[in-house]
Amino acid sequence: MNGVAAIEARGLTKDFSFGLRGVNIRAVDQLSLRIEVGQIFGLLGPNGSGKSTTIKMALGLLESTQGSCRIFGVPSCEVRARCQVGYLPESPHFHRFLSGRELVAFYGRLCGLRGEELRRRVDEVIAGVGLEAAAGRRVGTYSRGMLQRIGVAQAIVHDPRLVILDEPMAGIDPVGVAEITALIQQLKARGKTIVLVAHELTQVEALCDRIAILDRGRLVVERDLGAEFTALEVSQLSAEHVAELQAWLEARGGVLTTRRVVRSRLEEFFSPRIPATRETPSP
Amino acid sequence: MTAVPFSLRRVWLIACVTALEAARQRVFHLVLVLAMGLVLGAHAFREFNFGASELKFMADFGFGALTVFGSVLTIVATAQLFFGELEHRTALTLLAKPVWRAEFILGKIGGVMAVVTVFCALVTLLLLGTLYFRQQTLLAEHPELSESARALDPMAIIAVGVAHWLKFGVLAALTLLIASFARTSLYAVIVGFVMLLICHLHPLARLASARTDSWLLRGVAGMVSLIFPDFQLFDLSASIDSVGAAGAASLIRLVAYAGLYFSVLGSLAVYSFNRREL
Repeated sequence: MNGVAAIEARGLTKDFSFGLRGVNIRAVDQLSLRIEVGQIFGLLGPNGSGKSTTIKMALGLLESTQGSCRIFGVPSCEVRARCQVGYLPESPHFHRFLSGRELVAFYGRLCGLRGEELRRRVDEVIAGVGLEAAAGRRVGTYSRGMLQRIGVAQAIVHDPRLVILDEPMAGIDPVGVAEITALIQQLKARGKTIVLVAHELTQVEALCDRIAILDRGRLVVERDLGAEFTALEVSQLSAEHVAELQAWLEARGGVLTTRRVVRSRLEEFFSPRIPATRETPSP
Repeated sequence: MTAVPFSLRRVWLIACVTALEAARQRVFHLVLVLAMGLVLGAHAFREFNFGASELKFMADFGFGALTVFGSVLTIVATAQLFFGELEHRTALTLLAKPVWRAEFILGKIGGVMAVVTVFCALVTLLLLGTLYFRQQTLLAEHPELSESARALDPMAIIAVGVAHWLKFGVLAALTLLIASFARTSLYAVIVGFVMLLICHLHPLARLASARTDSWLLRGVAGMVSLIFPDFQLFDLSASIDSVGAAGAASLIRLVAYAGLYFSVLGSLAVYSFNRREL
């Protein structure tokens, strides 16, 4: 873990005050996280767990109560930290009267693109999200899935090194999901770091190299996915259940003839660690 | 990563998008139609002239419409456009780019002012046209009225329109300052109208400050007259009959006065919005 991290949070804490009596609610609690360059990092947790608050602090949209956050070594509260970041908010809304192409060009211009480079990038990203045919239509006429895709396009128009996608596949049809998934994989292949906030664990499992699970503002788990993840689940199953099952079978004259290693689903790992429902105020 | 300097280009981009959005708002279309309707219909109300000449009455009536509907447009459009960005979370997407919050605030004011400029220009030009045609009719019908009828100078009409536009600029900055810390659009609109009233009653505060023996009342009235801009100063309609060097000097003083308040209120709005959590 040498070099500059894409995102490095240290003891990040955020309190919100509510009401006249200033009741404090801690949305993020002493969160320390390091997201390495080139990873696809999944940020998971139930509603109100502090994911969006964490992202907003990383983008400098919220000021942390304690702790610090750096983007490629630059304090996230500085405007220059956002030069290398693309962000797609959850359920994005855009200026409805602009066409898809105008919208992406607007955000590109805000990031300093102009002239031929702007036109090239706009064409590239619109083609990348599969919206060439609808690029001339007003955003107000777009379906939810198209809005998500144009949102991804505006997030990557300036070719950022870090892309933060908050629920990028929410409301998209399976074809759209496949296109966005392919796009995220392309971005990773080009060395981009991607932070994926998602509830759909199957997608996270398919895409992410590493995950962090937040609950009530605290980091519950941070770990790699893949081989280590599978091995751990198999060893737990073996240690706790298989021998016991085998003994139970043999005591009754049975024989365990076949053992098959079944890779655990991320969903099975996630659910026991997070209570099913709770009422946690979310800012 | 190098520092990102403040950019007027980004302010311009945000202002353009804001202006396009403002021009599509129903409140803009509504107040524009009502104000232009009143200007065109001013002739019909000439019986209520309270002794003023017909053209002077029509000019006052037209500028009354400009004041009322221009104020409504400025306050409502500023609050709606600002909170629209926050509620629809377009501000999140925008401010997640390398954009200073000061650029965002100035872009918002710029967009609102573009629409207010169009409003003021259209109403003033319509008023000018209406007065011109009425003047020509009066001159043809009553040659003996020529002296008083000629007294209305087009440049004076335009100067009064510009003074109103300056006032709306200050009002937009004041409303944006309120919006920068308000939680709802409705709150910003209501407080905006209260502030508008205070700014128009400014001379009363000064009068109370001068006449009262109570140090408390004098202090409060003095404070009000210092903090809030005096919107009565922007009413140049008294000079419609006699524009000239004095009118031009008044306008230059108004530009400086409005510029000062616009800068201070705009800076406070930027400071307040910088501290706001999105």
